[in-house]
Amino acid sequence: MAFVSHSHRDPNGTYTFSSRPRPVENRSKYREPPSEQTHSNYGNIMYDRRVVRGNTYAQHIIPTTAQPDPAEIQRQQELRRRAIARKRAREEFRPKTPEALQGRKHIDVQTDLYLEELSDIIVATDIECQTDAFLDKPATPLFIPAKSGKDVETQIEEGELFDFDMEVQPVLEVLVGKTIEQSLVEVMEEEELASLRAQQRAFEELRNNELAEVHRLQEQERRHTEEKERRIAQQKEVLKKEKETAEKIAARAYTQQYLADLLPAVFTSLRSHGYFYDPVEKDIETNFFPWLMAEVNNSLQKRYAARELLDTIIHDVAQKRLERFKELETPAAKSDM
Amino acid sequence: MAGVLIDPTRAPVAFGRRAVPQLFEELQRPETGRRRRALASLCDLVHDPERLYQTVNGGFLEQLKVLLTDEDPSLRAKTCDLLHLLTAHSVGRQALLSSSILPPLSQLLNDSSSSCRRNVHQVLNRLAQLPAGADALLTLVPKLMLKLREEEEEEEEVQVLLLSTLSCCSRLDALPALASDGVSLLQRKLSHRSTNVRREAAAAMMALSVPEDGKRQVCEEAVLPVLVDLLQDEDVEVQANAAGVIMYTVVITTGKQQCLDLDVVPVLLHLASKKKEEEEEEDVERRRRRKALVMYSLRALTALAEAPDGRRLLLEQLPLLVERSEAAEEDRDIRRAALTAVRVVTWTP
Repeated sequence: MAFVSHSHRDPNGTYTFSSRPRPVENRSKYREPPSEQTHSNYGNIMYDRRVVRGNTYAQHIIPTTAQPDPAEIQRQQELRRRAIARKRAREEFRPKTPEALQGRKHIDVQTDLYLEELSDIIVATDIECQTDAFLDKPATPLFIPAKSGKDVETQIEEGELFDFDMEVQPVLEVLVGKTIEQSLVEVMEEEELASLRAQQRAFEELRNNELAEVHRLQEQERRHTEEKERRIAQQKEVLKKEKETAEKIAARAYTQQYLADLLPAVFTSLRSHGYFYDPVEKDIETNFFPWLMAEVNNSLQKRYAARELLDTIIHDVAQKRLERFKELETPAAKSDM
Repeated sequence: MAGVLIDPTRAPVAFGRRAVPQLFEELQRPETGRRRRALASLCDLVHDPERLYQTVNGGFLEQLKVLLTDEDPSLRAKTCDLLHLLTAHSVGRQALLSSSILPPLSQLLNDSSSSCRRNVHQVLNRLAQLPAGADALLTLVPKLMLKLREEEEEEEEVQVLLLSTLSCCSRLDALPALASDGVSLLQRKLSHRSTNVRREAAAAMMALSVPEDGKRQVCEEAVLPVLVDLLQDEDVEVQANAAGVIMYTVVITTGKQQCLDLDVVPVLLHLASKKKEEEEEEDVERRRRRKALVMYSLRALTALAEAPDGRRLLLEQLPLLVERSEAAEEDRDIRRAALTAVRVVTWTP
């Protein structure tokens, strides 16, 4: 019903059950299978037919721990006997009631003397009881059973019950064992650490070595490269110098050679250009000849002028003669006619 | 019977899986005495790896963080002790690194109680040995350097722990330590009277001299004479670490010059050459430490042989090195180092 109760197996294997407290449900006398709704109508406990009401002294429903008085006991015993008899009788009847034996007769018996009537009227009787005053009871005599069997004695000696050496052994074992265990663990730990440390140290040493070697080689490399660079630079210098010197020598040789015939060449060229001259010759050339040429020109000019004059005169004369002759001719011709 | 405790300094421990959670519940009680006892029991339990795993994974580290700021100094010291035990295992270390317990822990560095400070240093030291831990502690390096500077009179144990933490962190990245003027600080520690302090200081110096800057600083601060003295120390580890610093420093030219001036070559040769008692050395641990010393000396000599003066000196002593590189030498690494040394010494341009 809505899982209000739990019963399950605990992980440790025990069985547990638990359920929430819930009020009693109102159910009809002849139960139908419980449905989901019934738990909602809680019956009022005051009107629940299952709860016992009223005077409970006279109700013989469940006799509890109260001491029944002998009459009750007898009656109950009678009841039981009858019930058993009834059951036995019923069982005998079960297949079929057998025929009555010889000299017997079956009689129907009504047990109404022993019927109980359930009625609302509770039969109640008032009974009083009073205990008698306590009488002094005489002291119970000491019970000494009759002696039987053999008499045997025993005595516990010193050290028989408890032997310290034997008892202490397990305790001692545990104590010593635990101490040794602890110390072994500590010693092992230290040894482990020591061996780790030793290994680390060995590695460190090797590493240091190799590192130093590496540094040294690096340094060496550096120095060598530096040295090489320097040497190369030096060599380059030397080469350059040599080249320069060679060039200088070549230049010098060439210049010398060139300058060797410079002098006569200069002189020749100067002479050819007329920078070395004979002054008289130069004078004659510069002064005399132009005058001479000028005079010659003059005189020739005069001659030409004269010739031209002559030519003009001749031309004039010729022209005049021609004109005259022409004039002469014409009248002559005319005259001839 | 029920009220009597067997051991009055320890709280009763529940059985099995309930042990650790119940002790942590005890830790939430207001009474100091109960908390102290619960912490003591926890410290005992946590040696067991399973309990440690339970502690770490049960989310109880937050409670420990609260306890770190408690008023009672003994409680704080015990909590740090517990953390120290947690760092013994990898799970614990990783959990500590991933939880944000480092800032309150670093606050405790300035605590008033010295045992508390010592335990904090122990925790930090263990954490620093893990690379991830060293990484996380790099931010703390300046503070640690400050602590180192202040603690002139502090106990030797704390100094040793501090120096060890610093060297682990510097192995990962030496720059923070160098920036806080580590070289000069460590130089003072190199001449401490205690062997442990000297050893750790030399190891830290070795880690610092790995980067270029460190090498230069070592040369500038004139640390090399001190180191040469340390090479004559009695303890093999101190000698090895000093040889290591020299090995790194002579890579740069200034270092080479200074070392050659200090005439360190014979000392190194003496350390690197085979000695009779070495062959009879039975103890593995001692042999391993000697091996480190020999290797560092050989490498330092190799670097010194790069310089012409060094090469000249070493050419005279070549047989010693050759002896080391013979096949008779059992250790392969030493043989290799010696062969390299011989090769460098006999190199001609």
